[in-house]
Amino acid sequence: MTTPSKTPNALLHGALDALILKTLARGPSHGYAVARFIEDTTGDAVLVEEGSLYPALYRLERRGWVEAEWGTSELGRRAKLYRLTGAGRTQLEAEMATWRRFSAGVSKVLFST
Amino acid sequence: MKRSLRSWLWRVPIDQEIDEELALHIEMRTRELIDRGMDPHEARESAISRLGDVRRLKREMAGLGRKRDREMRLTLWLEELRDDVKFAFRQLKNSPAFTLVAVLTLALGIGANSAIFALVDATLLRPLPYGQPDRLVTIWETSDATARGFASPSNMVDWKARNRSFESIAAFTPGVGSMVVSGRDGNAETVSRQWVTAGIFDVLGVKPVAGRTFLPEDEQQMARRVVISEGYWETRFNRDPSVVGSDIKMDGRLYTVVGVAPKEFEILGRTSMWAMQPFPRNLPPRARAAYQLQVVGRMKPGVAIQAAQSDLAAVAAGLATEYPEFNKGRTVTLEPMHDTMIGSDLKVTSMLFVGVVGFVLLICCANVANLLLARATARGRELAVRSALGAGRRRIIRQLLTESVVLSLIGGVLGVGVGAAILQVTPVLIPEGLLPATVTLAFDLRVVGFCAIAALIVGVVFGIAPAFQATAVSSTEAMGADTRTTTGGGGRIRGWLVVGEVAMAVLLLFGAGLLLRTLLAVQSYDRGYRAESVLTMLVDPLNSSYPTPARLQQFFDQVEAEVRAVPGVADVGWSSALPLGESLYGDFALTYEMVGDPPVEEARKPTTDYQVVSATYFSTLELPIVAGRGFDARDTKDSPRVCIVNEAFSRSLGGRNPIGMQVSFRVAGSPTDKPNVGEIVGVARQVKRRPDEPRDFVQIYVPMAHDLSDDVLMLVRSKTGRADALTPAVRAAISRIDKEQLVSVASVTTLEDVEWKATGRQRFRAVMVTAFAVLAVLLAMVGVFGILAYSVQQRMRDFGVRRALGATTNDVLRLVVGDAVRVIVTGAAIGLVLSALSGRLIVTLLFGVQPLDLTTFAMVTIVVAITAALSIAGPAWRAAHVDPAVVLRSK
Repeated sequence: MTTPSKTPNALLHGALDALILKTLARGPSHGYAVARFIEDTTGDAVLVEEGSLYPALYRLERRGWVEAEWGTSELGRRAKLYRLTGAGRTQLEAEMATWRRFSAGVSKVLFST
Repeated sequence: MKRSLRSWLWRVPIDQEIDEELALHIEMRTRELIDRGMDPHEARESAISRLGDVRRLKREMAGLGRKRDREMRLTLWLEELRDDVKFAFRQLKNSPAFTLVAVLTLALGIGANSAIFALVDATLLRPLPYGQPDRLVTIWETSDATARGFASPSNMVDWKARNRSFESIAAFTPGVGSMVVSGRDGNAETVSRQWVTAGIFDVLGVKPVAGRTFLPEDEQQMARRVVISEGYWETRFNRDPSVVGSDIKMDGRLYTVVGVAPKEFEILGRTSMWAMQPFPRNLPPRARAAYQLQVVGRMKPGVAIQAAQSDLAAVAAGLATEYPEFNKGRTVTLEPMHDTMIGSDLKVTSMLFVGVVGFVLLICCANVANLLLARATARGRELAVRSALGAGRRRIIRQLLTESVVLSLIGGVLGVGVGAAILQVTPVLIPEGLLPATVTLAFDLRVVGFCAIAALIVGVVFGIAPAFQATAVSSTEAMGADTRTTTGGGGRIRGWLVVGEVAMAVLLLFGAGLLLRTLLAVQSYDRGYRAESVLTMLVDPLNSSYPTPARLQQFFDQVEAEVRAVPGVADVGWSSALPLGESLYGDFALTYEMVGDPPVEEARKPTTDYQVVSATYFSTLELPIVAGRGFDARDTKDSPRVCIVNEAFSRSLGGRNPIGMQVSFRVAGSPTDKPNVGEIVGVARQVKRRPDEPRDFVQIYVPMAHDLSDDVLMLVRSKTGRADALTPAVRAAISRIDKEQLVSVASVTTLEDVEWKATGRQRFRAVMVTAFAVLAVLLAMVGVFGILAYSVQQRMRDFGVRRALGATTNDVLRLVVGDAVRVIVTGAAIGLVLSALSGRLIVTLLFGVQPLDLTTFAMVTIVVAITAALSIAGPAWRAAHVDPAVVLRSK
């Protein structure tokens, strides 16, 4: 259903979780803020499919890597804020290490002369 | 934990949570797009569409959210449980005395129950150790005389051939007999042997552990074949596989060992071997009247027992018209084989024990509940503080229940130990023959599982009342109240718990009393003979070594003379049966009629027991001949047939003098047999055949010279002291006569031991129930003591004031004792009423005592009064010695 031209920057499987964890490592935020942060930081180079962001957040919550509580949004409305837990931080470090190894390996092949 | 707790407290319904979250997202995205210059309407459309299929998204999130919530609830619950358990342990550690008493009480209760569970599990609950055991039925041949009679070989063969409901039918003889095996080393040995038909192993579905079982060919060839038991194979042959196929000489004949049967087959009878009894189709006519077989059938799959019953009943009806002279009025009754093997006596005994230990456990629960109630009162303030700090009533009840379950689980763990210990001791008490042959009581995982479940249930049962009681008081009330003045509801519940305990203890005492009186009745009846100092043994010569009756008689005479010469021997006699012991002829009865009396229809003839004895039997047992003469030298092989009858026989003649009358007797149900006719020359004193026989049994004694058999019981009376001290000397005397060692001597025992065994079941029940009843009374009195001591403690100040105002010691005592007596009398009264109502339930286990036995009622009352007095004494003494000055000065 996706063609390379349309979504040139489709996320690799599992990367979304890592991105969310990394985002939350900066501090608690709600779902929209997470999406925005990823978009802004990657300069829209990575497209976060909003339809998969929220299920991912719920999955992470269920695994105990993030926890949710009700807070107040910038609009003064009640908002569900996600916060990284200790277990989440550990997981983030593990994912970062994996990613580093993975990308280093892929780069070695792709950019070898 | 903090995480779950917080998210839990702020939880909103999952759908609302999702709606709010997505609404916020859409709104913020819309604002963002408007800020970028998009038209508001378009911005909103775009924000929504970026989420994709919103309905599907919501469904996905709701699913994940629900799973998350469920897991969090469980985590939270487990975390609370962990906290509660930790707290419970801390609480229990803080009051070691309470914990010790409660845990020990519970361990006793649960342990006793687990031991009885092991018994019930091994016997009633477990199926027979055969394949598809529910298809196995016992087929009884019934008539007007017996509802569960043995079958004749010819009928069994015809049932097998004509039915449509059974895969196969086979049979075995109910008793285990013995055969003399001449060993390869020349030594003779008596081994137990059970007769079976060729198909029995196939019907039960038992595979041999070595060799094979019987084949139809064995039966057609009328071959002498045996299958030996695994136990015998092991002990005698050291599991030597070459035994299979070899011949062994038994009773002078060669039998081929075809295989070895596994242990579970021994459930039919505890025996060393099974010998095949061939029943070909063309049996002699009189085989139709030889009722000797216990028949087992395996029903075809899917056939109901009722269908099989009516099928076989039709076959039996056909046989009744075909062979009216034998089978008129005879039909069949089917019974699940499990019921046959377990037996009603064991069933009733097991249920009795289950009831008894169940009550003991209830008493334990009541005691612990009482302790908890007392503690709950003392902990009122603590609980009030907890509740003031925001713990809900349900939460506090849950925590208190956790405490009681922790308590009972500790009790359960110790109970496993107590149960194992009881099971170590009981096998000694369990009488022979009560349990099916191969059933052994084992303390296995099922019993441990039972303990765990029992502990959980018990923990909730005794914990629930105290928990509700403790939380019933409002917090302000409890916090403001002075701890001294808590009475009311808790006290009432505690009073009733103790009333219940006393009632149950009285009920058990009463049951124990009835069973003890039964034991006394079966032990202290008038035996008619003197059992002390009599040694008995089975003397069993190989019939090939003494081929003629004359030679055999000569051998017995020589042995008698030799044994008589042994120093210390007072008398020597011979018999085919022992009083209260088994008869070598089995339990078949003879019918008899007096010669000259009008003829009686065969089925209505009275029956008599038949015993072959030597002339010296009566003198050896010191069994008096009350009329006429005993046997003597006149009664030889060729002399006219004579007999001695017992007093019950004599009474059956309606006042006629039996001496000189001719009696005709033959094996019951075999009208074609030639009857024996003999002249009655004497009347012997009545003896018992079974300790609890409901009526005196009728007996005919015949002199040994007239019916000589090659296995006989020898009775030796010693002059003084213990009879078994003579054993080596008597054995030596026999081997001096039997120089070639062709005689087997077995079953060496004393008459006193025979009697002890005969009353084993009564003793087992009496001992077990009495032990549990004593435990119950002790526990109940601990309960009485507990509430009394507690209430005295609570009312010390009250007593002090009364004393200060001029009350005498008696006034105070009356207050204390009055309460206790009210509780005990109420409990005892309820218990006695229950006893009167339920005595009937064990009437089948009683002998010589009625269910409403006044002596037992009186004894129970006395025991309760004495133990109650003991339990009251301490607290009463304390109350009576209140020093007003001391009590009033202390806060």
